Amino acid sequence: MDSHYEVEFTVRGDDFLAAGEASNQIKETLIMLGVPSAISRRASVITYEAEMNLVIHSGGGTLRAVITPEKLTIQATDRGPGIPDLHLAMREGFSTAPDRVREMGFGAGMGLPNIKRNSDNLEIESEVGKGTTLTATILFHEGPGDRR
Amino acid sequence: MTVLSLIESLKLDVHNGGDGNRSVSRGVVGDLLSFVMGGAPEGAAWVTLQTHVNLAAVAVLKEIPLVILASGRTPDPELLDRCKKENIALATAAGSPFEICGALHDLGLKG
Ligand SMILES: Nc1ncnc2c1ncn2[C@@H]1O[C@H](COP(=O)(O)OP(=O)(O)O)[C@@H](O)[C@H]1O
Ligand SMILES: [Mg+2]
Repeated sequence: MDSHYEVEFTVRGDDFLAAGEASNQIKETLIMLGVPSAISRRASVITYEAEMNLVIHSGGGTLRAVITPEKLTIQATDRGPGIPDLHLAMREGFSTAPDRVREMGFGAGMGLPNIKRNSDNLEIESEVGKGTTLTATILFHEGPGDRR
Repeated sequence: MTVLSLIESLKLDVHNGGDGNRSVSRGVVGDLLSFVMGGAPEGAAWVTLQTHVNLAAVAVLKEIPLVILASGRTPDPELLDRCKKENIALATAAGSPFEICGALHDLGLKG
């Protein structure tokens, strides 16, 4: 594997027809790079939920994956409305998704918890009125202190 | 069991045959996409009442070989197109999600 590999995709807000496309491309990239399937499966949960949050909550943004020999970093960046209460947003079941989106089966308030469960490290920086940057990391080699 | 034998056993109305040889040993049921995203086992058949195109992205990412639309639901045209493109089997069952899951369980599928 190359020592550093990076892909970036623009995700359009409210575009439910294209939703998932960036995650799909990242998955294919990981497979192409020979990343183990147990890791690409975790990555898919993270990218999909992050991508859907860009589609549903932020008016769009960018989804990026950086692969090094040590780790996979997934970053979603937007200049949307931001998250006023991060602690609340992380709670399973909390969602501000509008009804029309909920009817499609989104807005279960499970996205951020799903991301958390599948990451070795998760950081969310958000400022109301400025935007949100979510950075999730999966380590390729597990040390003694790791959960998995 | 294979996608094809499952389709035949349940007498499903097939919209797209997908890869009939792919193996199915597990199942998942749900209409909340994040629930399926977070919890679907590898290679599961997915029983749902949703019919829109976004099912396909979840199926691709979770490596779900077969999506079963319950209670006689018809797929949106965009969903059918996407399933054809991604080679995901898509079929409708007359029975309710409960009935289909019962039948899948009888066939030996686990959750
Ligand atoms: N990129 C984002 N920009 C603004 N708000 C967000 C963003 N991502 C998440 N949120 C907020 O956090 C809540 C919880 O997110 P999540 O757990 O993914 O659930 P859901 O997307 O189903 O609502 C959202 O309902 C929304 O209020
Ligand atoms: Mg979400």
